[in-house]
Amino acid sequence: MAKPFVEFDHAGFTYDGQRFVFEDLSLTIPQGQFVCILGGNGSGKSTLAKHVNALLVPDAGVVRTFGCDTRDAEHTYFIRSNAGMVFQSPDDQLVASLVENDVAFGPENLGIENPELARRVKNALAEVGLQGFEKHETTALSGGQKQRVTIAGVLAMDPAILILDEASAMLDPRGRAGLMRVCRELHEAGMTIVMITHFMEEAAQAQRVVVLDSGCVRLDGTPGEVLSQAAVLAELNLDVPFACRLSLELQSRGIPVATCITESEIEEELCRLNSIR
Amino acid sequence: MPIEFDQVGYTYIDPKSRKRKARRVERGQGASERGKWGTDPDAIWALREISFTVEDGEFLGVCGHTGSGKSTLIQHMNGLVHPAEGRVLFDGKDMADKAVAARVRTSCGMVFQYPEHQLFAETVYEDVAFGPRNMGLSADDVDARVREGLSSVGLDFEELHEKSPFELSGGQQRRVAFAGVLAMRPKVLVLDEPVAGLDPKARREFLALIKGLHETGLTVVMVSHSMEDLAELCDRVLVLSEGRRLLLGTPDEVFANAELLKSVGLAVPAPQALALRLRERGFSLNRGLYDVEGLAADLADELAPCLAARFEEAGKR
Amino acid sequence: MSEVAVFGQYWAGDSPVHRMDPRVKMLLSLAVMVVVFCAQGWLGLGACAAFIVGFFLAAQIPISQALRSIAPLLFLVVLTALLNVLFVQGGEVYFQWWIICVSEEGVTRAAFVACRLFLLLMSASLLTLTTATLDITEAFERLLAPFARIGLPAHELGMMMGIALRFLPQFTSELRTVYRAQVSRGATFTANPFKGGVRSLLALMIPLFTSAFRHAETLSSAMDARCYHGGVGRTRLRELSLGRLDAAGVAAVALMLAAVLACNVLAAGIL
Repeated sequence: MAKPFVEFDHAGFTYDGQRFVFEDLSLTIPQGQFVCILGGNGSGKSTLAKHVNALLVPDAGVVRTFGCDTRDAEHTYFIRSNAGMVFQSPDDQLVASLVENDVAFGPENLGIENPELARRVKNALAEVGLQGFEKHETTALSGGQKQRVTIAGVLAMDPAILILDEASAMLDPRGRAGLMRVCRELHEAGMTIVMITHFMEEAAQAQRVVVLDSGCVRLDGTPGEVLSQAAVLAELNLDVPFACRLSLELQSRGIPVATCITESEIEEELCRLNSIR
Repeated sequence: MPIEFDQVGYTYIDPKSRKRKARRVERGQGASERGKWGTDPDAIWALREISFTVEDGEFLGVCGHTGSGKSTLIQHMNGLVHPAEGRVLFDGKDMADKAVAARVRTSCGMVFQYPEHQLFAETVYEDVAFGPRNMGLSADDVDARVREGLSSVGLDFEELHEKSPFELSGGQQRRVAFAGVLAMRPKVLVLDEPVAGLDPKARREFLALIKGLHETGLTVVMVSHSMEDLAELCDRVLVLSEGRRLLLGTPDEVFANAELLKSVGLAVPAPQALALRLRERGFSLNRGLYDVEGLAADLADELAPCLAARFEEAGKR
Repeated sequence: MSEVAVFGQYWAGDSPVHRMDPRVKMLLSLAVMVVVFCAQGWLGLGACAAFIVGFFLAAQIPISQALRSIAPLLFLVVLTALLNVLFVQGGEVYFQWWIICVSEEGVTRAAFVACRLFLLLMSASLLTLTTATLDITEAFERLLAPFARIGLPAHELGMMMGIALRFLPQFTSELRTVYRAQVSRGATFTANPFKGGVRSLLALMIPLFTSAFRHAETLSSAMDARCYHGGVGRTRLRELSLGRLDAAGVAAVALMLAAVLACNVLAAGIL
């Protein structure tokens, strides 16, 4: 097992000093993992995300990112420069009018000098598939493009971990697909990714899925293990993936299919059954 | 009260400069400016040659990519936007007439994207009362409308009417905004992506709410990105692509065109997509449009005999 | 979505004027305005006009575009001219009615002031037409940088200006959406302010303010997350450097000043 990058050790957090968003949360995310965090509204998933890069610090227990206690203000700068975060609304997080200035904002804050700075901006835009957009106005881009610019802005800081806090919630299907493709490619290149979402088709593409329910880890495992738990997902008011719903319907009709979570899996499964005749 | 679109075209550029451009085109300059579409900043036409009718009591779905002209199209329905070409008729009367347009405002309720961002009043009551008050109703009528509006979106009047709308949860805020439109007792309800940004639970509740409103006799026009929702709820679906009408018909008719939809980057509902792929791989699956239950039933029927034969064989051995 | 030209709109291009250092351009456009003010007679103003036309040619901006960009401000020119016609008296009287008196001197003076104001607007629009708003903010910030030592928050002012410019188009589009939404609910914005008009105005302004606060909250988190900690230790993607073009620009404006001064002397001599 790779060394833990992010470690929630019996962490507790409250906004108002009375009601805890989570009270005793323990979770470890190793280097290089692509983990999706699911949960309904009020499950604490966004609060969890903001703990990873010390935007919020726990009121009880400890959160360690890269082994550093996030409560220690000395580490804040180090943690934030290595843990990049993308928020839900692209319009609220773009700082500059021009794409290249926005992407450069992070590394400029880190004091990166030219020509390294210019190289990073160029590479980051290439990584999210927006080569040649340097001089475009950010307001003229589509939602999906804007969100990719914000990812480029984080990548230009050369982070070790990327946190996406419902970054796809406001995008149309094409924008979501583009965002997911970028995340998969980054993960293949070695990036650790923590993705907060409520879209099942996104969770199905992760390595590990964690389901939160009122501040507690309810399910934790591979997408296959977690997303096939239709009863628990329904109880938590989450969507059950289409392939899983179909498998269960077929099983209830006496067809011996395995419980699948992606459409290509169930397609292959059905064709296999059909070919036996 | 049907809303009829007759050869509607719309452009972001004001007619005067369009004429100037047209002259330039005639003189042979700027010919390339024509035929550019969608999000292209040089785009001239947001809508082109749109003809269809929203029938009384129907549930019409509208889909298309960002920049395909959906939002512009629905804003023609209550006269917020006037066509540059063609006419929009409400109950047979041209909406270019200001008196008609003013009447349409109250009969055609428009719910914008993220409607909770338009809340403004100190109390929920005042916010919902805004529309009825603008209609010039008496205080008693306004009060009745507010109670009716809140109850039709499933909110408790006694509990909420004195609260500030800004204290409520996101889902409740959106309900209040809905109530504000319903309090005007519209005949037609036009919704621009009513469930965008909601979590799965709130999304399902909202769709159920909209379905219920339609069942009470309201005509509903809904813009959505979710083909599954459109297939399940709509009587007819209108597909826009680059400002033009690509398809219009029942969900069965529209989603039979998987290839055409794919060519403009749109998908068909997941069960339908899987059914079409399986059909190519030797399954018969001959229904027009599949949902999960329908697909499971047909697959079970198709697979059962051969599975039974296999068990028999295994039994003999 | 609106394509209506507004004052300060950037006209993308790659002319020598576009490529000049924005700081130099900013200072030079100030200098040009001073020179226009220095021009004493029609001859001097003519010289200014000639130079400004020359600058527009160098910037490869069609005069029609330049005129369109200052069109919203032309009423200022007309207003100033009218005031001068009415208040400057002297010489032959062309027209008199009640307290209105149009005289020769008034008309001449009005024409002169109008021309001067027109040229001032043209030279200001040359800066905004050839310089992206972002470059203007950057130039502004850097020009103020020396004053940081006496406590002027140059970086913060620049950052504020930049963010304001970034959100301006967004607020415009949000305002339009809120406007349309409230109109859909029967709001009227032209009616009597004492009969529901105030409420309609609130219905427009409050959503706009709440949206501004919402944006600000996330934006500050996002800036924190990207390690923003003020101007200290920050580097810049774009480094501004002076080049031959800037020298040429300075020379051109110096020449303009010389020409105008010469015209002034000439005019004074003749008179």
